[in-house]
Amino acid sequence: MSLVSASIAIAKKDLTIELRTREITISTGFFALLIATLTSLSFFVDDAFSRNVAPGVLYTAVAFSAVLAISRSWAREREQDAMRALLVAPIPRLAIYVGKAISTLAFLALVEVLLVPLVALLYHVDFLDVLGGLLGVLGLATLGIVLAGTLFGAMTVKTSARDLMLSVVLFPLITPVLLSAVVATRELLGGNEVEVIAWVKILLAYDLVVGIAAGLMFDALVSE
Amino acid sequence: MPVAPSDARPDVDRPRYTRVEGRGLVKTYGPTRALAGVDIALAASEVTVVEGPNGSGKSTLLGLLSLLVRPSRGTLRFGELDAREEAATLRGTVGVLAHAALVYPDLTALESLALTAALYGLPHAEMGPRIAQLRDRFELGAFADRPARTYSRGQLQRLAIARTLLHRPSLVLLDEPSTGLDASSTQRLVQAVADERARGAIVVVVTHDTGFADAIATRRVRLSRGRVEEAA
Repeated sequence: MSLVSASIAIAKKDLTIELRTREITISTGFFALLIATLTSLSFFVDDAFSRNVAPGVLYTAVAFSAVLAISRSWAREREQDAMRALLVAPIPRLAIYVGKAISTLAFLALVEVLLVPLVALLYHVDFLDVLGGLLGVLGLATLGIVLAGTLFGAMTVKTSARDLMLSVVLFPLITPVLLSAVVATRELLGGNEVEVIAWVKILLAYDLVVGIAAGLMFDALVSE
Repeated sequence: MPVAPSDARPDVDRPRYTRVEGRGLVKTYGPTRALAGVDIALAASEVTVVEGPNGSGKSTLLGLLSLLVRPSRGTLRFGELDAREEAATLRGTVGVLAHAALVYPDLTALESLALTAALYGLPHAEMGPRIAQLRDRFELGAFADRPARTYSRGQLQRLAIARTLLHRPSLVLLDEPSTGLDASSTQRLVQAVADERARGAIVVVVTHDTGFADAIATRRVRLSRGRVEEAA
């Protein structure tokens, strides 16, 4: 079976389960909205200040939600040792990674559809003026977090201290994404295009490097 | 004893190899030697029951045969193909039943079987009839539309067996397959093993259920401390 077909089958499986349980989207969605709401109560001073704070809140909520979503997504592979069924199947092992990454991206995209308007509302930020740029930065940042998180999330299938390990390994790894995305979004709101392009290049490079590294490492990570 | 296969389809069921042979198989995990030089030959239309106490290496041997675990030393050949070099190709010819059901608790039986069919590349036209055939053969119909999370142990095991046999594997590996099954389900499993044998598959079973082993075995291999103690 080809990489594309197998990846689609695995992503479709995850989406079918999520449509039935809604477990990941509801838990991560509430978590993200709670972060945005609570921080707005603490950090809101005035419109000028909040415009600088809003990007940090947005990507903090995305990062924590992503870790939760990735952890839950891989937990499903542990139940009934389902991951083994994928490992003994005649599919490229990379398809497991790609399929899981696609479904996690879909879950997070749904959360972000709710999160972005809420952050705009609570922090009095007009994202509509920069919507195209924001979607680009947010998309690249989410992709980077998911690419790194899905890779190391696979390790948690066979680890006992799985949530701790995922957090300890993942947060330092996604720090470049969070920094770049926060600054790029802040500069986007400030209208500084040159700065935005520079930070977007870093996001692109990160996604490319992590994507290639995952392609090279995933088989070894999930093999005995 | 001649057996009549209930779902044999000679045109598509023909095994792609008729012999699996391991020579000097060693598997170590750190300082622990799970297999200490196992020689084993498995032939088509044989049902080999692997016996031995806990920790004797039975599960490791199944892990090697399922191509999930690589031997530390030794060679494993599926017909003319070397397992180390052709693992990706050979995986599609092996069916694995493990301790756990290897299904997603939130998928229904039909969804689980459809996913397996897709991952094993069953032609789309064949998928529906094959799933229907297994649904009837293992009497999954009454609960096939419910998520597996709601199944009893026996129902889950029947689904797991159906999933294992769905792609008509040449090598069928069954780890404690009779666990949780009632008498009629066990009888159905005995028939399924006989069918696989009649189809020409190589069947390897690890079980502590002596009654079940007596009903299916054409050959027995006993492992002890990672070695073959006796073969009969």
